[in-house]
Amino acid sequence: MKPLITAVMLFTLIAMFGTDTWAQSSAPPIRMAYLQSDIHHLALWVALEKGLFKKNGAEVEVKGVFKAGPEIMTAFAAGELDMAYVGEAPSTTAVANKAAKVVVVSQVNTEGSALVVAKKNSNINNLTDLQGKTVAVPGHSTVQDFLLRRALRNNGMAPEQVNIFVLKPPEMIGALRIGQIDAFIAWEPYPSKADTLSVGRNLATSKEMWPGHPCCVLVSDQGFINSHPEMVAAVVKSHVQATDYIHRNPDESVKIGVKYTGMDEATVRQAVQNVTYTYELSIQGEKEYVQFLSELGYIHLDNPDGFVDQFINPDILKGILSQ
Amino acid sequence: MSWKRLLPPVVLLLVWQGLSVSGVIPEYKLPSPLAVAAGLLDLIRTGMPPGHQLHVHIYYSVQRVLWGYALALLVAVPLGILMGWSKTIRNLIEPLVEMIRPVPPLAWIPIAILWFGIGSKSAAFIIFLGAFFPILLNTIGGVHSIDPVLIEAARMLNANRRFIFLKVLIPGAIPSILTGMRIGIGIGWMTLVAAEFTGVKQGYGLGYMIMTARDIQRSDEIIAGMVVIGLIGLGIDACLRLTEKQLVKWR
Repeated sequence: MKPLITAVMLFTLIAMFGTDTWAQSSAPPIRMAYLQSDIHHLALWVALEKGLFKKNGAEVEVKGVFKAGPEIMTAFAAGELDMAYVGEAPSTTAVANKAAKVVVVSQVNTEGSALVVAKKNSNINNLTDLQGKTVAVPGHSTVQDFLLRRALRNNGMAPEQVNIFVLKPPEMIGALRIGQIDAFIAWEPYPSKADTLSVGRNLATSKEMWPGHPCCVLVSDQGFINSHPEMVAAVVKSHVQATDYIHRNPDESVKIGVKYTGMDEATVRQAVQNVTYTYELSIQGEKEYVQFLSELGYIHLDNPDGFVDQFINPDILKGILSQ
Repeated sequence: MSWKRLLPPVVLLLVWQGLSVSGVIPEYKLPSPLAVAAGLLDLIRTGMPPGHQLHVHIYYSVQRVLWGYALALLVAVPLGILMGWSKTIRNLIEPLVEMIRPVPPLAWIPIAILWFGIGSKSAAFIIFLGAFFPILLNTIGGVHSIDPVLIEAARMLNANRRFIFLKVLIPGAIPSILTGMRIGIGIGWMTLVAAEFTGVKQGYGLGYMIMTARDIQRSDEIIAGMVVIGLIGLGIDACLRLTEKQLVKWR
């Protein structure tokens, strides 16, 4: 009899696991997430600081500050988030692998990452010098992982010729300083911070690696769009206003960046220069992501174009821009 | 092994598969046993990240554990015997041991990275810390558990200190040392996976593999990785039990 009782107990446990009742998104506030010290997400911080969300009728609560995009996607899968500022590559991977059901509703920025090598005693002067070297990326299937592999390919190299491994961005500068790694690729302001600390110098900015490449996006849980379309619209509207604000008030925006990244003003000022803040969506850019992630074997799609149509929802943004 | 022992896991797997097929458990939260099996096959053939195959991950992880564990054995067993044997040495060292022991091995990770860099040496150091204390405490306990009558008897027979140490103390402490070794390797193996989570320069290791599967959102491969870790742990424990049986036949 004993095995039967054990089985019944386990059954109950698993059934509890399976029910989706915990994950139901409740009424506002909107549960929002972003990446730690990622200057790409400046528009979110501006919107929070300037009360733009409230002005547009949305209550936004920062539910989590994450160290890399894949972690945000896991939080979406757990039903803990409604919307987030996050990289386009991890979002694509999560949706393609059916881990999270999110939709891109606006662009956040293009460009804004850099490949950094040690300032002193580094004999790496171009991408082909990276052969046999150790390069840290913030995570597999992040925008930066993607940029590095794409740049290596464009220089006639295979990713296997370089030792690529994962290290979280806050640890990268320290690792470069003590010679544990030969290079890292990260989002701003880490490359600028490495420069102002005299630890590293840019080997290549992502603008040079892939001009105008899409980077971070504003995503929303698909269920949340269905149940609260007006809330999503209010957030997108605030995001558009915040992006315009950054272009009109660069000095004030830098101060907000300093507050949220905890970094010095010189670093943030330099970092902001390397990022292009825009809400314009790029379907073509996403198609490149999908193709390359498929080539890497990270995702497997039967209908890539159909996937992109589902993954990006430009209607909400269009509606706001036409107002 | 009787069929009754196999029954609970088989029933569990069947119920699990049934719940997955019927849609009660969503695939993205917990993949079905068959999906996990397919994920395991992917890990063996393609690897995670693609090109980094399972057997190389296992090789690196086992190697880190063996280094850390061997070091822990080399330090903890002699130290434990000395501390059990001499009260003076024990009084000298015990406060230090008791201060370091409650610190979780994982709290050492940032320091380990500073001292040993990112990678195998750091991981081995964390495993050393995890395995060291159970072995040490069990060795001391083993020496203390020896019946004083035995030592007295040896003295009566005119045995010198060296003889008592080698022929009475050490054999007498062996069962307890082996228990400590089994606990130590268990904790070492657990800490290893967590130590590899923070990133390893070599790009290989079972913990690192699971983290990568998370990055690429493959929960089937995450669970397959957990199964592999469990099976290896089971294998190591079985080996130690066998050694125990061989070494302490008199029990």
